[in-house]
Amino acid sequence: MYDKFNLRIKEETILIEVKNLVKRYGNHTAVDHLSFTVERGQILGFLGPNGAGKSTTMNIITGYISASEGSVTIQGMDVFEEPEKVKKLIGYLPEFPPLYPDMTVKEYLNFVADIKQVKKQEKGQMISDIMELTKITDMSSRLIKHLSKGYKQRVGLAQAIMGYPELIILDEPTVGLDPKQIIEIRDLIKELSKKHTIILSSHIMQEVSAVCDTVLIIDKGKLVVSDKPEMLTKHLGATGSLKLSIRGEKDKVIDVLNKIERITKIEEREAESEDIAEITIYSKEDEDIREEVFYAMCDAKYPILEMQTIKMSLEDIFLMVTNVDNTIPKDTVDSDSKVEEKEIENSEEENNHVDNL
Amino acid sequence: MLTIYKKELRSYFTSMIGYVFIAFFLVIIGINFLFTNLIGGYANFEYALSGIVFIFVLLVPLLTMRLIAEENKQKTDQLLLTSPISARAIILGKFFAVFTIFLIVMAITCTYPLILVKFGTVSLATAYATIVGFTLLGGAYLAMGLFFSALSDSQVVAAIISFIVFIFTVLMDSIAKILPTDNKSAWIIFSVILLIICLIVFLMMHNLTVTIGTGLVGELLLTTIYIMQPTLFDGLVVKVMEWFSVITRFDTFALGIFDLSSVVYYISIIFIFLYLTTQAIKKKRWS
Repeated sequence: MYDKFNLRIKEETILIEVKNLVKRYGNHTAVDHLSFTVERGQILGFLGPNGAGKSTTMNIITGYISASEGSVTIQGMDVFEEPEKVKKLIGYLPEFPPLYPDMTVKEYLNFVADIKQVKKQEKGQMISDIMELTKITDMSSRLIKHLSKGYKQRVGLAQAIMGYPELIILDEPTVGLDPKQIIEIRDLIKELSKKHTIILSSHIMQEVSAVCDTVLIIDKGKLVVSDKPEMLTKHLGATGSLKLSIRGEKDKVIDVLNKIERITKIEEREAESEDIAEITIYSKEDEDIREEVFYAMCDAKYPILEMQTIKMSLEDIFLMVTNVDNTIPKDTVDSDSKVEEKEIENSEEENNHVDNL
Repeated sequence: MLTIYKKELRSYFTSMIGYVFIAFFLVIIGINFLFTNLIGGYANFEYALSGIVFIFVLLVPLLTMRLIAEENKQKTDQLLLTSPISARAIILGKFFAVFTIFLIVMAITCTYPLILVKFGTVSLATAYATIVGFTLLGGAYLAMGLFFSALSDSQVVAAIISFIVFIFTVLMDSIAKILPTDNKSAWIIFSVILLIICLIVFLMMHNLTVTIGTGLVGELLLTTIYIMQPTLFDGLVVKVMEWFSVITRFDTFALGIFDLSSVVYYISIIFIFLYLTTQAIKKKRWS
């Protein structure tokens, strides 16, 4: 009995269920067995590098393109079996806002309200409310082709909100906007999330972490991680490492550090001057060894100039999970140095050549 | 549907295309009316109309090229197809909008036979029957143009495809006349057509088994019929070509015959192409 009750609640809170979604273009797989659920009232962030399959997934959810395999259900209705019912629940801002350049903003929103089947008596009020919300009231009688990119984006957003659908899907809503506009749009999204469920995509980490309740990182069409943004940093971001700059001879400093048992690894870094030891130390992830290090150095009379806990930012996590081997930054450094080495070799050869002459 | 209809109709008049089409069409009908009826002294308005069927080739692509190609290009098809509105409603709305523009032209044309009445006895029945035929012919061309517009993202490409196909429909009659009428060459020609169909099937579906299957079954069918009843193939190429010749059907109207089968023919052409357009839009989801 209790279970049944619980199950019912679960069904009601889940708005979208995506199951084993696959989209193939010829031999290329754009979306590869993607599954996730979105609860009512959530803001879900889709994060992934360009070409990760974000837009494709969104296009499938909105019924614009079909999936090769798998299913999408919204409020228990399949997108492909009951497209018209499902589409009533969705407002969609695609990657390029779908605007008619020869219409004025007002005409356009009027048209959108009509095709979204907004009731006649509600239409006028809704359009002016939405224009107020997206701050385009001043532009209402301008032709869309004369608007700037930022305003076009807002008109696109207004289009997505029209009819106040249950679910609003925004594909990179802040692309091409200036910082002030980005903040405005973010605030608007937060405002909207009070009444709507929102899915938004981005390749900018901060944006997602600033706005979303849940982050879904996808890469090459596959789900990599799905969690709350703060949990992501907590689990994946904790490295338990400390970056130290200590005045004193390097070897002696390391001797002192070696006496601290909880340190698992000591790594030297390149120092700027000889009397400063630059060291990175590692401990277990959940242990805080800062005080211990402080007192140890204090006793040994080596002043700590700098101590910093290294925490991976969401950006680092993003890079880490989207590159299977998290060594890409190092690799680039390596290849750079290799290039340098080669250049040196070349110049040496030239020198030899000159010598031979 | 009504929303799309209104939007399309408005866009024809916010851009110049609607006005240009109406003006140009009226000028050509007017000139032909002037020379055939007023200066030429014929009382039959149908002669004036039958002399200008070729302008569909030039003017219809102008009107239809943007209908869907532009939506594809501006990505506004994403708005339409993710809204709670069916593909059929979108297509019907667009077709009726473009047909309305053409109806405006025909409505004005309806006054011309009345002008003739002033100069003598005019058979108004045949004149208006011809105008009905002309309107249906125009509708058929507009439906075809709409379909070709759905095949491309580019208005220019859509216009060129429509243009080529329309020219072909005009020339179809003359081409049909020079083709052989004996049953063996008919069999060969149909086999070649089958081959082309198979090629198109392959290009659209990228499925070798389906392609070869269609080809084999089709060829087997053709050959069996040819062996069993070779007389069936006599003059069949010409018959089939004439069936596709949209313009020859209009000749019966011009002769003053209100042929119901031609009316049905034109309406079927319109339906077939509107259906194909809807399918073309739906198919895009799967590509």
